[in-house]
Amino acid sequence: MSDNAIHSDDESELFNGFGSAPISRTASQRRTTKRWSFHNNDKPNLVDMDSDIAQLHRRLSDITGEDGVHKDASSSVIGGGQLYSTESGRLFHAGKICIALAGLPGRGKTHLSVSLTRYLRWLGVKTHSFHLGNYRRASAEDDVTHDLFVPSPNSKRANEIRNKIVDECLNDMLNFFKNDKGQVAIYDAVNALPEYRLALQKKFTDMNIQVLFIESLVTDDAIIMKNMEEAARSSPDYVNWDYDKAYKDYSGRINALAPYYQNMGEKDATLSYIKFINFGERIELHNSNYGYLINKVVFYLMNSRIKSGSVFFARCYKNSLDYTKDPPLDDAGKKYAFNLTKSLIEHVKKNGRSYFQDEEDKENPDLARLRPAVLKRQLSVDERQPAAGVDGIDQDSLVVWTSVKQRTIETTQYFADRNVKIRHRIQLSQKNPGVVANMTEDEVSAKYPDEYEQYIKDPYHYRFSRAESYHDLAIKIEPLILEMERMSGDILIIADDTILKVFYGYLMSCICYDIPYLNFPTDDIIEIKFNAYSNTAERIPIKDYTA
Amino acid sequence: MPVYSISHVENVRVCVVMVGLPARGKSLIAQKIVRYLSWLSINSKCFNVGSYRREIATDTVVDAEFFDPKNEVGMNYRQEAITRATTDMMKWFSDDNGVVGILDATNSTRDRRDKILKLCRENSIEPMFLESFCDDQDLIMQNILDVKTTSPDYLNRNNEFAAEDFLKRIKFYEQVYETMDQKADADLTFIKLVNVNSQIILNRIESYLESRIVYYVMNLHIKPRSIWLSRHGESEYNLTGQIGGDSNLSERGWRYAKRLPELVLKSLGEENKHTNLTVWTSTLKRTQQTSSFLPYKRKLQWKALDELDAGECDGMTYEEIEKTFPEDFKARDDDKYEYRYRGGESYRDIVIRLEPIIMELERQENILIITHQAVLRCLYAYFMNVPQEESPWMSIPLHTLIKLEPRAYSTLVSRIKADIPAVSTYKEKGTSQLGELETGTASKSRDLIRDSELAK
Repeated sequence: MSDNAIHSDDESELFNGFGSAPISRTASQRRTTKRWSFHNNDKPNLVDMDSDIAQLHRRLSDITGEDGVHKDASSSVIGGGQLYSTESGRLFHAGKICIALAGLPGRGKTHLSVSLTRYLRWLGVKTHSFHLGNYRRASAEDDVTHDLFVPSPNSKRANEIRNKIVDECLNDMLNFFKNDKGQVAIYDAVNALPEYRLALQKKFTDMNIQVLFIESLVTDDAIIMKNMEEAARSSPDYVNWDYDKAYKDYSGRINALAPYYQNMGEKDATLSYIKFINFGERIELHNSNYGYLINKVVFYLMNSRIKSGSVFFARCYKNSLDYTKDPPLDDAGKKYAFNLTKSLIEHVKKNGRSYFQDEEDKENPDLARLRPAVLKRQLSVDERQPAAGVDGIDQDSLVVWTSVKQRTIETTQYFADRNVKIRHRIQLSQKNPGVVANMTEDEVSAKYPDEYEQYIKDPYHYRFSRAESYHDLAIKIEPLILEMERMSGDILIIADDTILKVFYGYLMSCICYDIPYLNFPTDDIIEIKFNAYSNTAERIPIKDYTA
Repeated sequence: MPVYSISHVENVRVCVVMVGLPARGKSLIAQKIVRYLSWLSINSKCFNVGSYRREIATDTVVDAEFFDPKNEVGMNYRQEAITRATTDMMKWFSDDNGVVGILDATNSTRDRRDKILKLCRENSIEPMFLESFCDDQDLIMQNILDVKTTSPDYLNRNNEFAAEDFLKRIKFYEQVYETMDQKADADLTFIKLVNVNSQIILNRIESYLESRIVYYVMNLHIKPRSIWLSRHGESEYNLTGQIGGDSNLSERGWRYAKRLPELVLKSLGEENKHTNLTVWTSTLKRTQQTSSFLPYKRKLQWKALDELDAGECDGMTYEEIEKTFPEDFKARDDDKYEYRYRGGESYRDIVIRLEPIIMELERQENILIITHQAVLRCLYAYFMNVPQEESPWMSIPLHTLIKLEPRAYSTLVSRIKADIPAVSTYKEKGTSQLGELETGTASKSRDLIRDSELAK
């Protein structure tokens, strides 16, 4: 990577004070501004703003199903886990970076670019993924053949269309850097030939933008098959297609491209690149004198898996209880726990999961022993040991995460009875309300008018005396977020709604101002499903099974 | 990023097995991992096979010949040492709830690694091999210079003998060395660092904690370098005893700022006087003013280096705090590391926001950091492995330049005091008065003024 590029961007970030707060020059010299202020007044004024951000107390229903990962990364947006902000919009003295993907179709490039965008945005890095496929779909006519996908099409027309599409996409990327304070643009395309990759590198470095390639290689045919099935089912290219026809077309596309594709290697020796093999089984870094930000990307890659399971959110019963108290569950709470468990079991069984033991199985110890959940294998020393304390390796599995409070532990009892793994995590305890515990909003505004005014301006970052902010929670749960990304099976999180809001905020790429206003009802389970292109959220009603 | 704690999963255990020829920075990496994880409150320990060997091989001469693969006596001792180290490590995992254990040895043959692998697997642990592979002769020679001056094997030996003997020892290891291989070891969890970090291979990283260690190691380099730390010059607030704020330097503070370039040159020494440093400051005026006379071109301001935010107490004196918030004042003395000021920060909060700084610091070479008391305590604690309950009570006086030189077996510390008086900003436990008491705990355990010391 060009030292020059890094340097010039450092300067611009430095010029903007690298996130420094406006320093008041009052006689008292007190530091009156907090870590979350901007130099200018770039931050939206939520109270006077006539936009959808300003609609206080939005209900979850308003945004269910809408993944924010493809929304424009406006310069005023702050990510949930962002540590500080700068006027230039760029963080970590990392400058501008283009992450260009490489790899044949069916290698999970789209999934990779979208999930990386989600993570980087959460860290507060202005990131956008540019899918060449979207540009192709927008501009190409219907009658194009696989010819359009190969590096040097035979027909002149295909060649022209191709060049036009690529130019449009690159142009948008440059605009993103230039006009939208963008920091990371992810270029999701096949980039089949070393000549392409070198030209791309040159084009961007000439503009002081560093380029990092991530090549996704798959040597395991089972993974490719699975990806092809997924693409035939849900790729935007095959909307309203017959599944078999779509599958055939997609495999035809891969076969047309495969002879052209050249793996990154000697010809790319001057490039910075990462080989991402079998979705993280092996990762190779070349010319890897990267900065903090790119190392974070690699850190994410180490934990990234293609997710097939869902994340379920359920509130724990009565979380309006006093923060400092830890009472056991009452009868109504037990009823809630029972109904929650039953409702989830019904739901996942409908979706073909088999990790719950049937009641009858429990009576039959022989049958129970055969189930993977209780199957205790004695591994020989010639075999790999399962990583110690690692959950969710099996796609068909469920793990319940909850806090260490007594009532949440008791809420999970019915799951524990069915041999589901329960993990208690201190990070999942509700947000500490501090001095405003047990107070209504009116009481708070009467007793602490100044603090309340500040809180209303930024409920995500504002921290009452002795309290935690949502932002504190977001920082605290980052290890859990990465662990969640590694797990292939289902996860149920039973926690206070303050915690659920933050998880939801990550998975659905909410801007941080929205997070405090999310509303989780106690009569629904929320299911987040992972998809290559965007995540979706759905409600599962909790039915009453006790009647 | 993270971490109040690395997420707590039951029975998390990671066994890191170092691999590589001597003088490839293995011990340095191992020590750093332990220091970093301890800083994050994760129970970790390094088991250095060399020190086991030194303990048992007392009746024989340990020179290069000892490491000849044909030397049976040597081989026996070395086998015995590794057996003892691994046994202790397994015991530590089970008895002391160890989380990350590191086996620091060359483990240079596949046969040896297989034995360790089996032993770990018998204890239901899948080890993570961490190989430092290096064929860059300059880097190796630098490491040899470092090792021969600090290695316990060459205590009381002259440098010439040490260098020659050490090179010979490496030759013996090279005869049998088998590097980690993508095909032959495809089934193992391993990390291979080629020529420090110019190429890295990560194979089958399977838990979050492992990924966390890898992430840290990726940011390391083993080139020799130094880090200079200084507080800002005395500020107007220091004079009045107020905490926090964003005040200007006092007259004496400005004098320190003017003296600082001279102190840095003195610390660099004649032969390195042209070394180009990068200066990092916080975004507060007093650190920038302190850096203003330094001749170096690269000066970066980091928000993360700002002083601990005292929230509602910002701008108050300790006496005022004691009067206004008596309970808080006591609570802070009782657990200074965890205590968070009303609307402000705790020491633990600082450690979290310093993470990007630590990572960047590991990646860089010669850096001079001008920052604040609490932040310096946390940075110093990281480099010197100071336990959490002590670090907030360390005395770091004004107008003193501290130099840290990370080495394989320890970090060297030296200090140069500018001859410019300043107030003391040190507050003893249980009082609101400033200044170090004769009988105080700090002056005994964590006096940082001594001219030079070799800290563990």
